[in-house]
Amino acid sequence: MKNFRDIENLSALLDEQLNESESKRLKARLESDRELDSVSNDLSFVRNLLHLLPKRKSPKNFTLTRQMVGLKPPLPKTYPFFRLATVFATLLFVFTFSVNALSPFVSFNAPQFSFGIGGGGGGAGAPAVQEAPATEEALMQESAPAEAMPESTEVTRIAAEETPTQKEIETPSQDSVDGYQNQPQVENEALFSSNLIFTFLIISILGAISMFVIRQNAKRKWQ
Amino acid sequence: MDEIALINSAQKGDLDSFNTLILHYQDSVFNTALRILGDDDQAQDATQEAFISAFQSIKSFRGGSFKAWLMRTVTNACYDELRRQKRKPTIPLEPETNDGDEIDSPKWLADKNMTPAQKAEADELEHAIQHCLDDLPNEFRTVVVLADIQGMDYSEVAIASKVPLGTIKSRLARARLRLRECLRSFEELLPASFRLHTEKAK
Repeated sequence: MKNFRDIENLSALLDEQLNESESKRLKARLESDRELDSVSNDLSFVRNLLHLLPKRKSPKNFTLTRQMVGLKPPLPKTYPFFRLATVFATLLFVFTFSVNALSPFVSFNAPQFSFGIGGGGGGAGAPAVQEAPATEEALMQESAPAEAMPESTEVTRIAAEETPTQKEIETPSQDSVDGYQNQPQVENEALFSSNLIFTFLIISILGAISMFVIRQNAKRKWQ
Repeated sequence: MDEIALINSAQKGDLDSFNTLILHYQDSVFNTALRILGDDDQAQDATQEAFISAFQSIKSFRGGSFKAWLMRTVTNACYDELRRQKRKPTIPLEPETNDGDEIDSPKWLADKNMTPAQKAEADELEHAIQHCLDDLPNEFRTVVVLADIQGMDYSEVAIASKVPLGTIKSRLARARLRLRECLRSFEELLPASFRLHTEKAK
């Protein structure tokens, strides 16, 4: 039995994969060595037999469709704009709607009042109506010099008439009371107008519809 | 066919260009799969899988022999199929006796020591060769199919099999010797010229 190195070389010789010097050497050995020649014949026999195997024609075409390879239709250049606009409008809609929905539960103006004109009044949770006396005090201080002035001139008289008296200040008119009572209601109003929210909603919906139509058109054209 | 231009287009995502390449290579790819797997349906599945995989990874093709690169893809698809078979082996229909009892060893289908009558019935030479190919270990079979059936040179086979050139040389020699042994039992199926040769070899 020949060593396997010889068999390897014989196999390579049949395929013309040996270099020139190795080929010459092996061919010379084949002429003198019968056993080596027999192995060469065996290898050649198999090689030729395998070449005899019929080449089958493929039973079908293996061409690929876009669906098979998961390709998506090319979208027009306007598509990203619609997508961005839709996402932006949707976010704004969600934000404005949420803020408005939450506004009755959160008093946004309370901290502002605690640091307002009245100064040093109640804390953040104090109702705004309680700030009214502080404002009255300020008004009294402003009106005091007017009372002290002599009623010599018409101008000062008119000014004195226009200035509220102490009684008037102590018992505020019905209008001013109504005004104070209305103040908290103004604070609880929605921060964003419903028109604005509605606009965002419309933009979102229109954007989504546009995107859908663009995608469908692209798909139809592609197919 | 300008293969390089088609490959470049396919690398840019042009499916039509890739389909042109498929039409050119599908017979070779299918035959390779058929000889490695030995089953028509499985070969079709592996071929289709190979082409899908090739398109998805064509950007990784960096030049050289496109056929060798494609053959590597189909070889991988065939190995996947063989592994799947190993994990979930199909249960063959076992032959029964006249009494309805199963014959103990259904291996008779692949028995090398068939009787002459059975051999005569065993289809044609092609089936005999395929039978011997199926008996080879996967890596030997792949090398034989690529080198002797597809006619690829050693360097292409090395690319397709992802093994060094020396290993290809060694595997091919071993595979040919094993095939020779196997084919001895099918002598009467061989063409006359081959039969004369075998008689002479004896």
